[in-house]
Amino acid sequence: MKNEEQPAMLLLGVGGGGCRLAASVCAAYGSGLRALGADTDALANRQASAGGMTCLLLGGSRLAGHGAGGDAIQGRLAAQDDMPNLQAQMKGVRTVVLMTCLGGGTGGGATPEIVKTLGQMGIATICFATMPFSFEGQARRKEAERVLPMIEESADSLVVVPLDDLFKDAGNDLSLDDAIMMAEGIIAAGMTLLWRLLSKPGFISLDAERLHTMVLRGGNALFGCGSATGAGRAAKAVEALRGCRLLQSGKALTRANALLLGILAGSDLRLAEVGEVMREIQKACKSGCHIEMGTVLDPFYEGRIELVALAFESWTAAALAAPSGEVADVVPARAGGRKTRSRGGSKLSSGATGRGKFKGVEPTMYNNEDLDVPTFARRGIRLDR
Amino acid sequence: MAIPPIAALEIGTSRTVVCVGETGERGRVRITGVGACPTIGVRKGEITELPNVRVGIDKAIKEAEKTSGVDIWQVLIALSGGHIQSVINPGKLAIRSSDHVVSAEDMEELGEIANDVELESDRQLLHTIPMTFTVDDQIGIVKPLGMRCKMLSLEVMAIHCLKNRVDNAVNAAKSAKLDVADVAFSGIGAALSVLTAEHKQNGVALIDLGGGTTSYVAYCNNVFATSGCIAVGGDHITNDVALAFAITQAQAEEVKRKYGSAVIDPDSGSKRVTVPADGAFEERILGCKALQTVINARVDETLRIVRSQLDDAGVLPHLRAGLILIGGGAYMNGVTDLAQRIFGLPCRIGTPSNVDGLEGVEQPAALATVAGLVMHGHNNYEDRGLLSPVKHVLKGWFGR
Repeated sequence: MKNEEQPAMLLLGVGGGGCRLAASVCAAYGSGLRALGADTDALANRQASAGGMTCLLLGGSRLAGHGAGGDAIQGRLAAQDDMPNLQAQMKGVRTVVLMTCLGGGTGGGATPEIVKTLGQMGIATICFATMPFSFEGQARRKEAERVLPMIEESADSLVVVPLDDLFKDAGNDLSLDDAIMMAEGIIAAGMTLLWRLLSKPGFISLDAERLHTMVLRGGNALFGCGSATGAGRAAKAVEALRGCRLLQSGKALTRANALLLGILAGSDLRLAEVGEVMREIQKACKSGCHIEMGTVLDPFYEGRIELVALAFESWTAAALAAPSGEVADVVPARAGGRKTRSRGGSKLSSGATGRGKFKGVEPTMYNNEDLDVPTFARRGIRLDR
Repeated sequence: MAIPPIAALEIGTSRTVVCVGETGERGRVRITGVGACPTIGVRKGEITELPNVRVGIDKAIKEAEKTSGVDIWQVLIALSGGHIQSVINPGKLAIRSSDHVVSAEDMEELGEIANDVELESDRQLLHTIPMTFTVDDQIGIVKPLGMRCKMLSLEVMAIHCLKNRVDNAVNAAKSAKLDVADVAFSGIGAALSVLTAEHKQNGVALIDLGGGTTSYVAYCNNVFATSGCIAVGGDHITNDVALAFAITQAQAEEVKRKYGSAVIDPDSGSKRVTVPADGAFEERILGCKALQTVINARVDETLRIVRSQLDDAGVLPHLRAGLILIGGGAYMNGVTDLAQRIFGLPCRIGTPSNVDGLEGVEQPAALATVAGLVMHGHNNYEDRGLLSPVKHVLKGWFGR
């Protein structure tokens, strides 16, 4: 990147948890980051806005700013209500990094709708979605699991962050508040690293355009960080990264077809250390893994090396072959590599549901939609029958 | 002048209704007979199977004759359907008299100019409704008679429809051996029976949630502001439910009527409802919340389309009297709450209170259109031969 302004990239927090995460990244990163929050809770929006992030209230006319009350349907409808306002904020944006916490009303309901719209607008979307802690109850977990395929269907890349994995060895002393705060801290720190990687100059730069290309049809991804100081810090940082629970203790690296790796360090970073990191990473990954690497040199990291990685398991080299700014419509199905991108479609498409008694009747068209097709099907609303 | 009993017929998507009215106390219309029969052969407000429709008309007419005690040979027909459209047509007249005072003759001539609406060959004018006059540069004048100006302008709302749809409705009535006195847009009929002068003065939208269509009319500052008809109605809700749960249309209709709600009850998560068996189709048990979700999505969408169209017409900020819902759909659980939320306006179910004789009738809002059409017949019977912009409101009675 030539400067810190990144008009082509936007950090978007959806729902209470997503907005808090986005606000934390904003606070850690400082100025120059283009970020937007979208939530149904006016109070939470005000708090997030206080940190300098622009916040959009979803479903104000429907929910009066009181939040979705844990109801994903309300969250979805709220997003639909205010989608034009959200779309207006997307001027010039090519890549959206979306953060959301699943299991709740707005995160779970609004996120699929927003991701679908971004897809229709031709914006590459990488969605970071946290799965709720086990102790939050089965209902929230099930709700989160229900929503994941809907996001997966429209997002170019989906990074699932299971919060349980962060605290597998934490013991019984950790309180709920601490666990949530720590989890948010870890994810926000990782996201900040990623953002710095894309915006701060290094001797090997990784810019938003390369992220855009990687993300485009990257499929599911895992995300993790590792850091080390002192002698042998390069090898130790890779070791820490391999041990990162979010990367399934190194398993994600061995399975990845593509890896986006960021090395963040102070001006004391030596070229040999970069070489050592790369050697160790290549050892940890399978042969043929496509690795995109970038460095950030920032006095903030003086004396240490921080690594941040996005591991794409279902990625193929063809993703890079698509002409710039153009997306091929037919790609191999997920089982064979990448998923088939569905622009604006849903798993409950009109084809699957049909028009019932209006079959063969002149359709009632409104804004290019066939109103004879059930609304729930056109809007992709899933029903717990 | 004695006015004979007048009958109105509405061939609705879900039921065919006939109302008979006579002049009652203080000149008000009194409904003396009602007949109704489920309709077969109408989709989205438009006739698709004439023989079946005729059977429905016959039954409804017989019932209305029985309850009113009169023989019905002539009817007014209420027309609905997505083909009905409206357009604002302007007319201008230079006041040529030496004193430049607007005369009754000027008003009549201007009315004729503004009512001369150019339509495509397959369309037919249903109503021309005067909106407001502009007296030179002074806009929003309601009664310009006697005012001084050089140029008088009038905007009329022209409601038009497809000719063949009118022909189909007329032919259906004729096949039941009925003469057709006039055809009117259903929304206009409903407005006559439900809306008061106060409603119109304060600004109101009357939304008819019918079986096959959703139509609306709006008044602001006592002037007809806009109207429209969307070919989406209660039938779509039934169809959505049938497709969502793979049940028959009859089962879906029953479950919609018994358990349907336009709003989602957050406490209905574990509640289940039973769908009775229908012929070879077995009894089913459905999740109540899923049912409400399907219905909510459809009703929400339909009301938002109406909201958007009222917004486009610029009338939304002027609806101080709020919304009034009529038609069978108005009685669905939660629909007024949902409309209130979507529009941010007070909302209630309307009753045809401008006519007598429907007190104690179950779901009177479903009779608002036909009751209003009977009023239309009475008003125009009284007014025939007279000509003024106000009398043009329901043009055509005996006139075409």
